[in-house]
Amino acid sequence: MLRNATIACLLLLSQNVFALSQINIQIGALSNESIEARNVNINLNLKAVPTVTLKTELKQPADKAWAQAQMRCLLPVNLTQDVWNCTDGKFTAPRINLPFALEVTPQPKGFAANLNLQGANFSDEAGLHAADKLTGHLAVVARQDGDTLHFNSALNWQSGEVFWQPLYFANGGHELQAAGSLRGDVLTLDNATLKLDKVGDLKFSGQIDIKKYNIQRLNADLPNLNLAEAYPLLFKPFLGKTLLNDADLNGNAALSVTVVDSQLKTFKINLKDANIDDKNHKFAFYNVNADIPWSYDDATKISFSYENGQLLNMPLGRTNIGTEVNRYSLVSPEITLPILDGAFKLSDISAAHINDNWYWHLRASLTPISMPDASRAFKLPIMQGKASAEIPLVTYSGGILTTDGEIVLNVFDGQVKVTQLTMINPLTDAPKLSADLTMRNLDLGELTRTFSFGAIEGKLDGDVQGLEMLNWKPVKMDAKLESSPGKYTKKISQRAVENISSLGGAGAGAAVERSFLRFFKQFNYEKMGLSCKLHNDICEMSGIGSTPGGYVIVKGSGIPSITVLGYNQTVSWGELIDRIKRVIDGNSKAIVK
Amino acid sequence: MKKLLLSLLVVVTIFAANGAVAAADLEINTPAIAALKASMQTRHGQLSPFYSSGAVGLTKDGMIAIKDANAVPLKDRGALNGLVSAENADRANLYKEIATANGHPEWQGDIQNTFAGRWIDKAQGGWWYQGAGGWVKK
Repeated sequence: MLRNATIACLLLLSQNVFALSQINIQIGALSNESIEARNVNINLNLKAVPTVTLKTELKQPADKAWAQAQMRCLLPVNLTQDVWNCTDGKFTAPRINLPFALEVTPQPKGFAANLNLQGANFSDEAGLHAADKLTGHLAVVARQDGDTLHFNSALNWQSGEVFWQPLYFANGGHELQAAGSLRGDVLTLDNATLKLDKVGDLKFSGQIDIKKYNIQRLNADLPNLNLAEAYPLLFKPFLGKTLLNDADLNGNAALSVTVVDSQLKTFKINLKDANIDDKNHKFAFYNVNADIPWSYDDATKISFSYENGQLLNMPLGRTNIGTEVNRYSLVSPEITLPILDGAFKLSDISAAHINDNWYWHLRASLTPISMPDASRAFKLPIMQGKASAEIPLVTYSGGILTTDGEIVLNVFDGQVKVTQLTMINPLTDAPKLSADLTMRNLDLGELTRTFSFGAIEGKLDGDVQGLEMLNWKPVKMDAKLESSPGKYTKKISQRAVENISSLGGAGAGAAVERSFLRFFKQFNYEKMGLSCKLHNDICEMSGIGSTPGGYVIVKGSGIPSITVLGYNQTVSWGELIDRIKRVIDGNSKAIVK
Repeated sequence: MKKLLLSLLVVVTIFAANGAVAAADLEINTPAIAALKASMQTRHGQLSPFYSSGAVGLTKDGMIAIKDANAVPLKDRGALNGLVSAENADRANLYKEIATANGHPEWQGDIQNTFAGRWIDKAQGGWWYQGAGGWVKK
């Protein structure tokens, strides 16, 4: 129908070119499978400078609203050979305003066209694909050869911002050049280059079935990618809630990919002196160099190294990792991660990526690291001693990390053992941890000096059963601290008595006459202990014995002796932590008068 | 009499079946639920202007979605997108945790439906929500 109308129009033109000054053609409605037009108005002005003006309303069959399209072209002398110069082009629809100029030169079996967009705006209904003040230029040369359409095109996006969910481009300066052919539904790209300003040049070629969205083959090569520019523009929007979503990256990368039948066949990632720095300080790797080839068909060897870095504030030393990758699994006999003055040694590593989940297991050991350095790294009070660990089996499956074996910390002249350690989503916003802890023979002198608690001499045992932490805060546990069995000096300072009393709450106090207390700086005790059953944010407290309405925290012995009682049977966890903080900060209000 | 008893039994059975979610404690509190609620509360301050402007609306399945971001500057739409997906991730986790805390993980879908109605009831006038036939302004 459209074709008939055009023929009628041309017929009129050729017969009456000298007799008429103006021809106006109006067509009520036109349609084919993919487009509908109505109120089509074609005006031929045959005065000194002949022009043709086209105005119409257009829409696709499924659309509700009509779009307005118009343009005015100078009629060339030779309609089939000379340039058609069209200006005042405008395409408007709800949320769309595309002013354009078009230049078309008919060529044998084809055409050459230049389209200029000047300050175009468009958006879909939700605003998730939108552009503002877009100015650019598209040049296309096309030629039909039998059933094949050959083309060569260059798109130059000069300025304007674009949001194409989830990508955002603040500025232009990007170019796309593509040469190829279209035959039936198969688009062949012989040679295409996407130049992203400041980011890098992507060269690609391949064959795509545009109806079935099937990539029959694709080779893409990005030899020099600027990570600092590419990360915020191209990577971050896709990283969502992953670990890498808020980092600073710089350095260079090279990427190449081959795809056959929509299936990833090979890729290769090279990192050259890259730095990766998590803005939330969970991890950092500096001077990263990597050679990561991968192939669907063959096993490959990958290498990954960094000069230094940190993981959860723990400094990492120079590390070289080499592993063998076989499609979706990898194995490595040993990886040594130097940490502080020791090292984390992983062995018998095997990992597999199945149905979008990682599964891995390995053996791990921590060669002794110095606690003063570790406590500095974790911004804790400086502890003495060494920490080491031996974990026969670490398993990670579906976001859950479990350990079999024990982590041993040799601290405060005693020993802390962590067993049954399980972590769920350890590096996310809501990490869950569960573990059991046993502490034996911790030196109270060293412990109280470290935490500025007021001097106590003696030894301490502790058992924490069923510790559950959410986001690194205890939410459930059954904890008990008690003097270690055995013979040793047991003395407590006046300051420590005050502090322990204040832990027991406002009603707690020393069960001695207060006037008596101030004559002595130090007292003897027989035993001390405090326990907390934490559940639903409430800590049920008790001591080493009970009294009417309270419990014994310190039981005195000899002269001068002192007994400290607690009266708060329950206390909210937050309040208890506040009390401990106040004591450690030395702001505890002295209850001794 | 037998018939009467039988029909009574049928009625009771129907009520028991419908009562599954009515019996769920939607206010149940666990540390995980508290953490999710706190995270959503913090985000609400950022989302609230978008609810009012109609950029974001409440969906009928207890989530939120971008309805019309055209009033939001292009450069901020990525962040808005991020807010919406973070909120939806928290909401999905909240429904799961409430079901788990009630000892019935299989109730998650019903709990989510109940919440969908609650969010819409609690929405301020002028906010948008998904009705049976599309977006509706409250």
